[in-house]
Amino acid sequence: MKKRFMSIVTALAISASFITGCSKGDKVDSTMQSSENGGKQILKFGCFDYVDSIDPGNMINAAWNCTRFGVGECLFRFNDAMEAEPCLCDTYEVSSDHKTWTFHIRDGVKFSNGEDVTAQKVADCYERLFACEGSSTPEKFLDCASMAADDASGSLTIKTNTAYPDLRKNLAYPVFAVLDVENTKNFDEGAIGTGPYAVTEFEAAVGVDFKANQYYWNGEVPFDGMELKFINDSSAKTMALQSGQVDLVENITEVSDLNTLKEDKSYDVTTANGVRCGFTSINQDGLLKNDALRQAVLMAVDTDTLCNVTLGGLYTPGFSVLPSNLNYHYDELNNPYAYDVEKAKQLLDTAGIVDSDGDGIRELDGTPVKLNYITYDNRGLATLAEGVQHLLKEIGIDTAIHTTDGDTLWNLTVSGEYDLSSGNWTTVGTGDPQEYLANWYSKGTANYCNYKNEKYDELYEKLLTEMDEAGRTALIAEMQQILIDDAAVLVHGYYNSSMCSSKKVKGAVIHTADYYWITTEIKPAE
Amino acid sequence: MKRFKATKYAVFLTFAVCAILIILAAVFAPVLCAGKSPVDAELADALLPPDSHHWFGTDQLGRDVFARVIYGARITLSAALAVVAIIFVLGTLLGILAGYFGGIMDAVIMRFSDMMVSFPGMVLAIAVAGISGASIKNAVIAVSFVSWTKYARLARSLVAKIRHSDYVQAAVVAGSRQWYILTRYMLPAVLPTLVVTAATDIGSMILELAGLSFLGFGAQPPAPEWGLMLNEGRPHMQTASWLMVFPGLAIFLVVLVFNFLGDSLRDVLDVRKE
Repeated sequence: MKKRFMSIVTALAISASFITGCSKGDKVDSTMQSSENGGKQILKFGCFDYVDSIDPGNMINAAWNCTRFGVGECLFRFNDAMEAEPCLCDTYEVSSDHKTWTFHIRDGVKFSNGEDVTAQKVADCYERLFACEGSSTPEKFLDCASMAADDASGSLTIKTNTAYPDLRKNLAYPVFAVLDVENTKNFDEGAIGTGPYAVTEFEAAVGVDFKANQYYWNGEVPFDGMELKFINDSSAKTMALQSGQVDLVENITEVSDLNTLKEDKSYDVTTANGVRCGFTSINQDGLLKNDALRQAVLMAVDTDTLCNVTLGGLYTPGFSVLPSNLNYHYDELNNPYAYDVEKAKQLLDTAGIVDSDGDGIRELDGTPVKLNYITYDNRGLATLAEGVQHLLKEIGIDTAIHTTDGDTLWNLTVSGEYDLSSGNWTTVGTGDPQEYLANWYSKGTANYCNYKNEKYDELYEKLLTEMDEAGRTALIAEMQQILIDDAAVLVHGYYNSSMCSSKKVKGAVIHTADYYWITTEIKPAE
Repeated sequence: MKRFKATKYAVFLTFAVCAILIILAAVFAPVLCAGKSPVDAELADALLPPDSHHWFGTDQLGRDVFARVIYGARITLSAALAVVAIIFVLGTLLGILAGYFGGIMDAVIMRFSDMMVSFPGMVLAIAVAGISGASIKNAVIAVSFVSWTKYARLARSLVAKIRHSDYVQAAVVAGSRQWYILTRYMLPAVLPTLVVTAATDIGSMILELAGLSFLGFGAQPPAPEWGLMLNEGRPHMQTASWLMVFPGLAIFLVVLVFNFLGDSLRDVLDVRKE
């Protein structure tokens, strides 16, 4: 009897310890953290680990890390209208042919190690960038003929081979973050920049520690330091915020998690209409070469419901490749293929794409219409693909979804091994969509969807030489309409970025340009 | 003693009935779901909590979770039974051959089996499923590939035990053909143990296959597979818990029934005593 009693007590004790272990007992109090850090205010930030590097010369994602983490700054920075604003450069001049640009480096700017930022230092940084063997491809943004620095006048003169409508925007791209090349020993894990925070310790795949840049030129740095933790799973990020492990997280990509935080008054959630477009590329070297089939695919997809209900507003629905919040005349565009299932069916019937064998799937020239849809689990794209799969089935089109990782998806897309391919792309990375629109320029190397329209090509070539902003906008609007009329791409909508914070911090906002996460706007709550 | 025997049979019968009920639920899924499809989505009805219309609620694409759980039994059971059948047949055959013939054949089969055992099973299954492409068929192949060794080793040791028995030697001396000896003496000697092992393995195979699907290496969307459903429900754990609770419960109950069925079958066949 005694034995049995003891075993029951032991079992209860074990169960209790399990339950205690599962509870939120590990909630960390920020004041405790402060005392552990000698009374210092430390910002704890959870973010996705895109790459373990902050070297802009390494790869694009590393360059983005550099500016996102508040380490590096460029000569200019984008405002929320994606216009270039002065940053390390305060004034500039441009020649009439748009090939000679002179930038004056702001006086009094220092790197985080106390070294002055001079024109020569900027030139050295750019020269290193071009010499790097990484995949950042700075030459894509700056076709440089020569560079001359004059420290006496504090100006940097850049001569380019190509005329740029506005080179400031290209130089605001994170790849051109200005670093102290002379004194940086480890660019990947300890690049020295001019931003509000400087790296003290970098642990790959785990996190990064920062201290405030005591020489910061643009006001006081609100925190004494920052602890960045890499958390790749969106739900884990949410739970880290809820348990107090972090005070701030970027881009919660699961709608349920985002809504949980939105509904809880203990957290601040800000979302912004970003400049990313979520779309499905249509490969025209295959079944989808058929115009009626493509048009029917577009008409069968209920973009509004997918974006607003299925993904709970993660995307703002739209039908053009450029986001509606940008100034490219979205409101004047006409969509002839709006959601209309009956019309889609009629269109297919008229085109002779019918289900002749009664298996529920239509045939095109005797071949069942079964589309190979490749996608990856990022920013709701896999869920969107499943939604599209269901909607296409309604009109008798079968799809086989292959969910893979980002790299494989890219390789399959480049090699043309797909009918439909999910994507979520930045449209105006340099404040201008020229590079992005090259994806449908048939003579370019970036056209992986085998789209061809002579008029589009002609307009794109005009865009390359058009320097006038209004003229460019008009050309871009016309090009968008051509893509819409040709049913060239299945656009879902425009991704809304988010920043979520606990009440321990204030001022955490997400900007239109996805390059600035940690800024001096984020302060400790009073 | 008599009473214990009666209880043994009662327990076995109870779990056999439960297992048959589960199989019947899978077979008659369309009837149980009243015509609701597990893959048809009603996008506007996303993430509805359980109610009289949707007993287990709906998922992110507005699909009925009850229908998906019931239809899920089809994929889960057929895949798990397929794995068990493959590893049972393959393992038994190779084990008997190795145990009976010995020599080079024994060395080759058993060293290969040792090689397989030296890898962590699930990791190897992930590698196989990953290389051959994600699908439930490849998941079945992957799990079979890493799980047959247990049967081979068991069959080999059982055969080795009786290989030199007098009655086997007598059969050899009497001029019996090898095929006759293998099927008449060796197979019956190993079958009871292996059948019990197979019955208890159904549960663990369901878990392994669900694990692969959860990780994205098994069933692919929109298939209603329990592991895949758990993964789809994971992001909604805090707001729509029914997406994880019901597929999880289904796995728990089915694995429980098949594990108990295996155990009670062992008691009935009294393998340990042998």
